[in-house]
Amino acid sequence: MKKLLGTAAALMMLVTAGCSSQSSGGNTSANGEWTPSQPIEITAPSGPGGGWDTTARMASQVFEQEKIIDKRLPVVNKAGGGGAIGWAYVAGKDGSPHHMFVGSPPLVLVPLNGQSEYGYEDFTPIANVIADYGAFVVKADAKWDSLNDLFEDMKKDPASVSIIGTSSPGSMDHMQFVKIAKAAGVDVTKIKYISDPDAGGLTAVLNGSVDVYTTGVAETIEQVRAGKIKVLGITSEERLEGDVLSDFPTAKEQGIDETFINWRGFFGPPNMDPAAVKYYEEKFKELNDSPAWDEIRKKYGWGELYMDSEEYSEFLKKEAEEMEVLLKELGLARN
Amino acid sequence: MDAFQGLMSGFQVAFSLQGLLFVFIGVFVGTFIGMMPGLGPISAIAIMIPITYSMDPTVALVMMAGVYYGAIFGGSSSSILLNAPGVAGTVATAFDGYPMAQQGKAGKALAIAAIASFTGGTVSVILLMLFTPMLSAVAVSFGPAEYFALMFMGLTAISSLSDGSTIKAFISAALGFIVVTIGIDSQTGTSRFTFGNPNLLEGIDFLVIALGLFALAEVCTLILNRKDDTMSNNQELGSLRISKQDMKEMSGPMTRQSFLGFIIGVLPGAGATIASFIAYITEKKISKKPEEFGKGSIKGLAAPETANNAATGGAFVPLLSLGIPGSGTTAVLLGAFLVLGVQPGPLLIQDRPEVFWGIIASMYVGNIFLLILNLPLIPYIAKVLRIPRPLLISLVIIFSLIGVYAISFNTFDLYMLVAFGIIGYLMRMFSFPAAPFILAFILGGMMEQALRQTLTISNGSLSIFLDKPIALTLIGISVLTILVPLFTNKRKYTAAKAEKEQNIS
Repeated sequence: MKKLLGTAAALMMLVTAGCSSQSSGGNTSANGEWTPSQPIEITAPSGPGGGWDTTARMASQVFEQEKIIDKRLPVVNKAGGGGAIGWAYVAGKDGSPHHMFVGSPPLVLVPLNGQSEYGYEDFTPIANVIADYGAFVVKADAKWDSLNDLFEDMKKDPASVSIIGTSSPGSMDHMQFVKIAKAAGVDVTKIKYISDPDAGGLTAVLNGSVDVYTTGVAETIEQVRAGKIKVLGITSEERLEGDVLSDFPTAKEQGIDETFINWRGFFGPPNMDPAAVKYYEEKFKELNDSPAWDEIRKKYGWGELYMDSEEYSEFLKKEAEEMEVLLKELGLARN
Repeated sequence: MDAFQGLMSGFQVAFSLQGLLFVFIGVFVGTFIGMMPGLGPISAIAIMIPITYSMDPTVALVMMAGVYYGAIFGGSSSSILLNAPGVAGTVATAFDGYPMAQQGKAGKALAIAAIASFTGGTVSVILLMLFTPMLSAVAVSFGPAEYFALMFMGLTAISSLSDGSTIKAFISAALGFIVVTIGIDSQTGTSRFTFGNPNLLEGIDFLVIALGLFALAEVCTLILNRKDDTMSNNQELGSLRISKQDMKEMSGPMTRQSFLGFIIGVLPGAGATIASFIAYITEKKISKKPEEFGKGSIKGLAAPETANNAATGGAFVPLLSLGIPGSGTTAVLLGAFLVLGVQPGPLLIQDRPEVFWGIIASMYVGNIFLLILNLPLIPYIAKVLRIPRPLLISLVIIFSLIGVYAISFNTFDLYMLVAFGIIGYLMRMFSFPAAPFILAFILGGMMEQALRQTLTISNGSLSIFLDKPIALTLIGISVLTILVPLFTNKRKYTAAKAEKEQNIS
């Protein structure tokens, strides 16, 4: 009964919100403070399940349950084109303060690959909330024990080692490996990268078809605990905290001065009202610091990385420049 | 904890009041959603995930597993009654199921499907229970080279999926191969045949092709032949009774395909679809009366239905013992596990024995529920056919549109659906079979992928296939199945093969 009432109340809210402010873009008070006047739609540019969708749904859940934002935050899925369909959808909401989407490195990489009309610079960065890191994995009985062992072999003959990841060449799994390998002095143009979009990378490493699996840190924990694989290195600045996680050596401590962050944050449509950006920035900070969000981070093995809109913009610019150089070297940039 | 003790604790979960209740809810929801044309296990699981948030993990997962195999169990109905397969795994079910329904034996067809599903499901649970720890090694034994060989073997089905001209079957398959290349090529990141349209970047979804070529093409035919009285006899439900003779005919395929289907299901990425196709062709190849296949053969219906349910059980091996999802559906299911704080993987049996054994034990119960649930419902399900023709046609169109729209909420997919409906109708008109098209579409993508991965690993050398015993054997079998019929008298060949089969069994 309580639940029913809740649903009814939510519906009422939706209806009233929808009626009262069809045309207005939220309420701006005399001192320039902005508050939302209708439900805020969060787009996950992918199907249900997976990083973007989970981040969107969990953020929406915490915002609503902890009453950080007193409006509903429905999540919509716009799958396709590695994100391109969802980005095009949000780009079409020019100036709306009631739309946002979840973004991560593909937002920089996919446009550079020439597969999306819109890139990070078309949108309004609101805040970054999560950091994930890459891990390079080999079978437990592989001959390499450190990244340096592996890269030593690859420097002699880059084509003697095969690398597998889920994303296509020029996207995240590939680029995180390339970035670190380049810093170690490997000829990255000759790296043998295989993509398995059906997530068969782990299988391929376990049965010895492929040598190295490049993936996210969280995906490796269970197999490491079972003693089936070993993690040669991860891409974070410092060692991570956690049961198995703290055993993973970073590339940096192995003398390879390079990192790769799989950042995840929220973006608004082009030309979002700065007052609205300011409002959301604060709300995301509140989300970031809440115990409920901390619990969710632990559950999914996400790291914390909060950046406000300004820091985020600068970070993204630097990120994009670095990636463009790498992609050009690999011959994958299409501009 | 040893396996027996574990299983007992599993049965304690499965037979608790709560356990029984949620297994029932799971299989009920699953089979109900599975029956809708265009909605399959993925939608069923996705719908149920939010409900599990605050539940006890073991009970929740027992329910989710029920939703999964329940949806596969129920999925045959729309294939049989409407020629509208909702998931790839039930395409082969339509080959003989739909003709049977058209002959006025819809009730019997549904009963056969239910019994075959039950057999496949139950045998696979037994195998799952006995061999999961051992089979986890099999699940990872397939690398790209082996997958290519397996897909190649599946392709030999093309010639057996045509009842008329083999050339037309090959043309149809070639079209399927062309269509599957649309989208971003995963090995290079290049977009192929997208003509700058971002909607095509992900390629065309299976459901668009299946519902277009099968369901909408059928609708076109029904509309154009609406005055034809000979079509009206398919409103008959027919008797539900399965004679001793029928049972005898079914038992062979059911026994063989329970095992074969399970093994194929264990391989990540292969799954129910390939299991059902391979079941269909092996049964056709060893049958004494291969000419009956495609015209309402009992064997042709029982084989894929057994195999796809057995494969569903098999798919739990890599999921539970390795944490590797073998298909889109098991990936969503893995998500459901993670939401509940249960990490499937090599340590699941030790860390959470009650979850592991609870799921397995509940699958026995679930399969029995499904049989009890489905058999008495057949007359009601089959009543779909009594719905007046104009209404039924509209319903099929609506469900096809909903199913396709639900993939990514993109109207572009709907235009594609209509386009493939028209293509499907034209293919029928000029008697090009649609089955090779869809087979090539399903296998082609994975096959190209696997071949290029293999060749990248071997630096372009084909000799890698000679170094891998499994791959070599599978390719050998495929080549033989193509060559042997060319050299021997076809009838003599099939008779001899059938006799050999009898000697074995």
